Amino acid sequence: MATKQIRYEALVKALHGDLFRYAYWLCNEKQVAEDLVQETFLRAWRALDSLKDEKAAKSWLITILRRENARRFERKRFDMSDYEESTITDTKSASTEQEIENHWLREKIAALPEEYREPLVLQVVGGFSGEEIAAMLSLNKNTVMTRLFRARNQLKDALDEEPLKRGQYNG
Amino acid sequence: MDDLEFRRALFADPTSNDPALQKAKNSSPARQKVSQEMDKLDQQIASALNVDVPDDLCDRLILRQTLASHQQNKRKTRIHLALAASVALVIGLSVNVLMFSNAYTNIADYALAHTYHEADHFSNEEQTLVSLASLNDKMASFDGSFSQDMGELLFADYCRFDGMKSLHLVYRGLSQPVNVYIVPDSEHLQFSANFSDKNLKGQTIKFNGKNIIVVGDKSEPLKQWQETISNNVQWST
Repeated sequence: MATKQIRYEALVKALHGDLFRYAYWLCNEKQVAEDLVQETFLRAWRALDSLKDEKAAKSWLITILRRENARRFERKRFDMSDYEESTITDTKSASTEQEIENHWLREKIAALPEEYREPLVLQVVGGFSGEEIAAMLSLNKNTVMTRLFRARNQLKDALDEEPLKRGQYNG
Repeated sequence: MDDLEFRRALFADPTSNDPALQKAKNSSPARQKVSQEMDKLDQQIASALNVDVPDDLCDRLILRQTLASHQQNKRKTRIHLALAASVALVIGLSVNVLMFSNAYTNIADYALAHTYHEADHFSNEEQTLVSLASLNDKMASFDGSFSQDMGELLFADYCRFDGMKSLHLVYRGLSQPVNVYIVPDSEHLQFSANFSDKNLKGQTIKFNGKNIIVVGDKSEPLKQWQETISNNVQWST
């Protein structure tokens, strides 16, 4: 029991940040993301004995979280593609240039189709390879690579198109 | 690697160590520029994706798990307690049913069974006799008495007669002891005046609220025994 507790706490400490970020980009809401992470870790606790390989912990948790997220949609069908700007909350006042840029880019990322955004988050935040992402999302690797390409391509286009508009946040 | 392939590979994974991509990156100034731009974009993306994690999330996750597993433990002990209680209840009930249910439905069957069961304890050759005074002492709790000895009384004591308090008398018989039961009337045992099986026979007489049952072997003149008893017994109520 005690060792299970220690394992669990180590797991939480090491991975809750990445898991929260992944959840956040999955649902675009801080509160929902927190709930998802809570549910995920509770389920993880119950099934902790089935986790043999600590290296696989992150993808294991992400798989649980995706399932939780899917369950949320079964319970309540609200359309997440109706993206609202107000749901992206900026907790800090945008003061530095870096933060302004982040804010702008976050809106663009949030506006990406989910099928492009999810692999991107897994690659950049989770540090997973194309093969690993393909396995997690049950896709083939070429599809994942194409989506990653399109995600970055759309962000680059957006960046190239609206360099001036970004200035308005300076006011 | 042509331009399209290069762009696709670079955009899909800018940090890839793939040797072909690395080589392609340095193959022309234009590609170098694209590659640098993409590195910059990827840094921006990483920075943008890196949203703040609530400070206390980690603590809350651990707290919630601790509470949940505590609850679970409590629920477990409660379930165990409930299970133990249920088992005890079931055992109690079945013991009750087994002990106090009535296996016999009429007076004859029980009297025969009782006689067979205790037959080994009584011998026709028993020498110590029970006095009339001692018998009447015991009869008092049945509101009755006998006016004189009806034979050689070998044994007299209270007995459970299918759960009812009764008086069991054993007299010396012709070849086997004769058993006399003084039993209160009951609802669950059906009255039967004459009964017998292959070894024993019996007779029952009804007095007010009491039955006197005589059981003896086939050679015993039970009618005579019953007459003697009827003539001697006196009921105070």
